[in-house]
Amino acid sequence: MKEQHNLLLWKAVFVLVLIGLGFGIYASSKSIDYTWRWERIPQYIISVEPKDIRSPFDGTVQSVDIKNHSMVVLPDQGGNPFVIKKFDKANVMSGDIVFEGDPLAQVNGWRVGPILWGLITTLKLSFVALIFAMIIGLFTGLARISDNPALRYFAITYVEIIRGTPLLVQIFIFYFFIGTILNLDRFTAGVAALSVFTGAYIAEIIRSGIQSIHPGQMEAARSVGMNYFQAMVYVILPQAFKRTLPPLAGQLINLIKDSSLVSVISITDLTKSGREVVSSTFAPFEVWFTVALMYLVLTGSLSWIIQKLEKRLSASD
Amino acid sequence: MTKVSSNSIIVAENIEKIYPNNCHALKNVSLEVKRGEVVVIIGPSGSGKSTFLRTLNQLETISDGTIHIDDIDLTAKSTNINKMREEVGMVFQSFNLFPHKTALGNVMLSPLKVLKKSKADAEKEAHELLTKVGLANRMNSYPSHLSGGQQQRVAIARALAMKPKIMLFDEPTSALDPEMVGEVLDVMKSLASDGMTMVVVTHEMGFAREVADRVVFMEDGELVFEEQPDRFFDSPNPRLQRFLGQVL
Repeated sequence: MKEQHNLLLWKAVFVLVLIGLGFGIYASSKSIDYTWRWERIPQYIISVEPKDIRSPFDGTVQSVDIKNHSMVVLPDQGGNPFVIKKFDKANVMSGDIVFEGDPLAQVNGWRVGPILWGLITTLKLSFVALIFAMIIGLFTGLARISDNPALRYFAITYVEIIRGTPLLVQIFIFYFFIGTILNLDRFTAGVAALSVFTGAYIAEIIRSGIQSIHPGQMEAARSVGMNYFQAMVYVILPQAFKRTLPPLAGQLINLIKDSSLVSVISITDLTKSGREVVSSTFAPFEVWFTVALMYLVLTGSLSWIIQKLEKRLSASD
Repeated sequence: MTKVSSNSIIVAENIEKIYPNNCHALKNVSLEVKRGEVVVIIGPSGSGKSTFLRTLNQLETISDGTIHIDDIDLTAKSTNINKMREEVGMVFQSFNLFPHKTALGNVMLSPLKVLKKSKADAEKEAHELLTKVGLANRMNSYPSHLSGGQQQRVAIARALAMKPKIMLFDEPTSALDPEMVGEVLDVMKSLASDGMTMVVVTHEMGFAREVADRVVFMEDGELVFEEQPDRFFDSPNPRLQRFLGQVL
């Protein structure tokens, strides 16, 4: 009973400290006279403002059908008429003369805001980089323990160069040097830099995972007639994969966080869109807290998925 | 090169093994094993008996000499060593079961992936083999849920699944609790009585006496002495008697 009581006490301490911290943040923001404007944030995540439909040319409104919510505009220069099949509110009447870019009508509905766009870009960037990093890491890890000296030295050189230089510098090299030579767009250069960087770390994780498997496993696999490749695929790698999941999870979470660095080559990821929204809302505290929360959602889901995977693989323990 | 006699399934001649650190593990070891024969190798630890056994399926390479299995030169460049290993089953001291597979999965893996058998065929054969080693009720257990004796019996079934002509046993009972030694030896005895060619490295003198057709004594990387079991243990050879005095 006594131990039970103590546990409750310490849980209460934890909650109280958290509440205290929250209050501390609130109080300190009061002291610097900061006005919180959380209400400005949601529209940058999902925008519900009506969207304007603008005229693509100078012309005359031929007809506005209020009942069917459709409209036809004829161009002055001749050619095909501009037809709006569906609108919610008309800004013009039949017979009006309009110029290029004039708002003709509005449609309601929600749109993805810049912060959510940034989140999607970060997700896309991290996911593609994750796939490539795993492939690069697997092959480099295998090359690292190969009997062939050439393969081994290539792997060591690659890992040492990548681990010995900052990611930020690598991103610049990938974008300005390799990107210029191979004519890569920003996104490809960003993905390449991230996957080459993370691949080097994954290679080391996979190498240590394979080397941690008892040599008897390879011997047993070979003794029942498997070749090196089969023994790797069916016996060693499944065991090594299970053992390397926790460090792999850490590395992949790092990849998501490191992806924020690609904003330096003007990829509008979550971090860069955060910066853009700050400049239009003047609410930096709120925006950066929101951005942090979104990164937390991404990394949290990834570690949840990996935990599930770990649980499923532990059936043989 | 000597003519290979056709009723010898294993012919090892003048095997030398020198490790890169200059450790001379095998010195001029020669051994012939006939079809269906059970040969037991005994000797003190570090005598090279496990090393010699492992050269017979090339888990250990040799520095000099020749090994013929079923008239095929094991060390020739043209020999497909993976193909040869299908014919030579091996049972290890530490079982080396695949921990991520069930007992059934362990036995089925190689027939599925190497022999490319259908899942139904492989499963049927694995069932039969596991029943044969007395594990019909533990088919779906993972190795970590099996006792040492049960794991070793799964390992024997796994080796048998490739339908080998020869079975090599590397101290199969040394890692077992005493009460589990019997169950593994029983499986090996029934295998021997089925006519399997077996080379067994062991410290089980009872097994050697009862099952072996020939007992081989190794010491310091040399094959000192070989004899039929009934005469072997009474031999006056001083090196053998010194060893037997220590273990018996």
